[in-house]
Amino acid sequence: MNRKTTFLVVILMVLSAACSKPYPKKITYLATASVSAYNLQYLNKQNELAKTEVVPQSVQDVWTYEFTAEEGDIVYINGKYGDINSGLKIQVLIDGKVYKQESTVGDTINYIVVSGVVPYE
Amino acid sequence: MKRSFASVAFILGWVYFLNAQSVLINGYVMDALSREPVENAQVIILATGEGTISGADGFFSLSVSHKFPVELSVEHITYEEIVLTVESNKTTDLILYLSPKSTYLDEVTVLGSFENEKPYRTETISAKTITKTSIADIGNLLRREPNVSGVRKGAVGIDPVVRGFKYAQLNVQLDGGTKIEGGCPNRMDPVLAHIDINDLENITVYKGPFALKYGPNMGGVISLTTYTPRFYEKFENHIEAFAGGQTNHTGFKSSFGVNGGNDVVAYYVKGNYKKYGDYEAGNGEVITSSLEQYNIGGKLAVQPAIGHTVTAGFDRSWGRNVDFPALPMDERKDDTYLYNINYFGTNLGNVVNYIRIKAYDAHVEHEMDNKSRPFSDTLVAVSQITANNAGGKFGINMNVLKGRVEAGVDYEQIDKDGVRTKYLILQPNLPKIYEDLWNNASIKNFGLYAEWQRSFTSLDIIIAMRYDHNVANSDTLIRGKENGNVVYENTNTGSAYNNFSFSAGITWHINERNSLMFSFGRGVRSPDMTERFIILLPVSYDPYDYLGNPQLKPEVNYEADLGYSFIQNKSGTLQVSVFYSFVKDYILGELVPPSQVPPQTRGVLGVKKFTNIAYARLAGFELSYATPTRYKWFARFNAAYTFGVNPEAVQYVRENGEVVDERIIDNDPLPEIPPFETNISLGYGFFAKKLVPELDLRVVAAQNKVSEANYEQTTPGFITADFVLSYHYHEFLSIYTGVTNILNTNYYEHLNRRIIGSKGPLYEPGRMFYLNLRFHL
Repeated sequence: MNRKTTFLVVILMVLSAACSKPYPKKITYLATASVSAYNLQYLNKQNELAKTEVVPQSVQDVWTYEFTAEEGDIVYINGKYGDINSGLKIQVLIDGKVYKQESTVGDTINYIVVSGVVPYE
Repeated sequence: MKRSFASVAFILGWVYFLNAQSVLINGYVMDALSREPVENAQVIILATGEGTISGADGFFSLSVSHKFPVELSVEHITYEEIVLTVESNKTTDLILYLSPKSTYLDEVTVLGSFENEKPYRTETISAKTITKTSIADIGNLLRREPNVSGVRKGAVGIDPVVRGFKYAQLNVQLDGGTKIEGGCPNRMDPVLAHIDINDLENITVYKGPFALKYGPNMGGVISLTTYTPRFYEKFENHIEAFAGGQTNHTGFKSSFGVNGGNDVVAYYVKGNYKKYGDYEAGNGEVITSSLEQYNIGGKLAVQPAIGHTVTAGFDRSWGRNVDFPALPMDERKDDTYLYNINYFGTNLGNVVNYIRIKAYDAHVEHEMDNKSRPFSDTLVAVSQITANNAGGKFGINMNVLKGRVEAGVDYEQIDKDGVRTKYLILQPNLPKIYEDLWNNASIKNFGLYAEWQRSFTSLDIIIAMRYDHNVANSDTLIRGKENGNVVYENTNTGSAYNNFSFSAGITWHINERNSLMFSFGRGVRSPDMTERFIILLPVSYDPYDYLGNPQLKPEVNYEADLGYSFIQNKSGTLQVSVFYSFVKDYILGELVPPSQVPPQTRGVLGVKKFTNIAYARLAGFELSYATPTRYKWFARFNAAYTFGVNPEAVQYVRENGEVVDERIIDNDPLPEIPPFETNISLGYGFFAKKLVPELDLRVVAAQNKVSEANYEQTTPGFITADFVLSYHYHEFLSIYTGVTNILNTNYYEHLNRRIIGSKGPLYEPGRMFYLNLRFHL
């Protein structure tokens, strides 16, 4: 290779190394601590609001939903239950670490909303 | 036999005669950057010393009696000398491109100049100056020029202010006429933000309303020239590369380009990449300022016939995650597409010097949000805006009335639309609210212009005039609430104006060293998109929601400039300019009672609507001096000051965060006017100026003349010092290394906006070390 070609290759290698994209984040919605049926509404991997009803067998039962997201994506999940003797705990995890969480016991009126934006590094 | 001998003798004699008689070499001398003709270039035959001088259209005609090949030298005081060999007398109509002298450009970088006999102040920044700094933003670079400042809202996107004029009061353009409309209502992406600093070959600032052939000009023109493909006698290829890294605002900028061509086709392809993190101010405070920007562009020039060049260019740029701590949102994504095609023709006879035709399209897709802000915990707002600016220009330069006339037409059309989506992320069902931004707004401007120049023995005269027909409209301006109530509605969105501008200037060459310049002008500009169509957004420096006013009148600037220039080979160059400006129908915000329009942004004090006040006045001066370039050492100095007054300002008296009264303040200073400032540079050229250390001092006075009516805050003065060491190792490699803000001064410019969510100023970066490498093969 002549001098100009060598120079060209080196520059392109440096530039390609510099243009690295951030890794996607693993998002986990997690709902637990309820003894009776509850409803969840969450932003899914298609970025659409999805609904589901969960009927737990015990208070230890855990409902989860996982997908990948990018920095700046909105994460959103809300939950509501109708049994005054029940409760609900909702968490949003990013790459396995708790990003936000909320819980109530015996509150059948208000929604539990856990939401935010996948942080930029 | 005798007859045959006579015939042979006759033929030999004729051949000898043909060889001995002189042959004409014709050609044009052109500026390699601007492609404009270079007048008064000396074209000399090296062997005999015979020569000639190029005319106003760059044309020269040289009689050659010497045997071919002939070596020609082309010299001009402000250009690098070239020497070329003309192989045979069949080579006629040469096109010779001269590159501006770096020393000359370096000098005017600090000095400014009255170049091209312009009787008003201009400043020029060369590519060399750009290369040796760590600066990544064009607006930041411009702030080094006398009486040029900038509004800082983040690390980049600094919006220029020239002699107190800003935003649409300045005509900012690229490559002789390409204009760009940014998307953000808060101007996080002004025109300069869409151009990579490493793509520039030079910047020229024409101060005042005098240069009218560049489009509507009320306060000044900032003309940017990007890299230009160059024609070569034989096919050549070259590689240009640049890499620069720095501490503090840690990051790097880089570029890579390939260019070349022959005498018919020339090309240039170039890409840039830069990425920076946050920076630390002098007091250790970390300022959120990370960013990533990259672009790729190219130009292809074809010269189908001598003196006729067609150039097509494109540029595609990306901005990603650019922080603006002094704005409510950050830039998440900016995609810019620039296309242009240009024709430049000379060699058109004795009357027409040249013809210039240009068409362009600049398309911006801008997305910004508040996702990095604490407030996004309750409401995520995302704005997506599309802005398009398309236009063109036709100009012809002719010899008329013993002078030169450039006349032409230009057209510009701006279209802008967008939507802001608000996600109420703490509410069930994740409600979304959509708000229109810019409401399909459109501004069209059609202009006619003419500029006549003539030189007498000791006088140069220039007279220019321009007519603009400006039409604008948008959909109904409306802002509703979630419950369906309408907060504001305006259906009267159309407007049309006929604007007439003119300027006249004279340069009196008192003698070889001293010149006196005087210019007077009337520059008119129509209101811009924001002033006409913004709906309830806090787009200014003060805490108010702003409303556009489609019925605003154009601003008219009557300005007079007086200049003096002393240029002497041994003593150096001294230039002084003073200006006085009377702006009729100056545009400012006027409070709207909350009962009429309630504010829509949290934390603002009320709503202001753009309106015309009777007039405002601005005045100031620039003073500069530079030692001659003939010495190894150099010293440069400049000082500049501007003062602006609103003769009858209205102050809205606040109590407990609410407006409770208003009062009139006479002769209140205009807001956002930079203070008095001086710059001093000292340096020495070692080893035939291969190694040049340079120390730059900047002394800025406190700004205490602030607008009382607008509760503008004073700014303390400061001193900063920078050092740069330039080493031109070889033709292939130049190294620049330096320290900026050596004293680690904790300071901020008067025009820096305040950080959102705090009352603290947006400090400038503290001490920083950098290293730049420039390669050329």
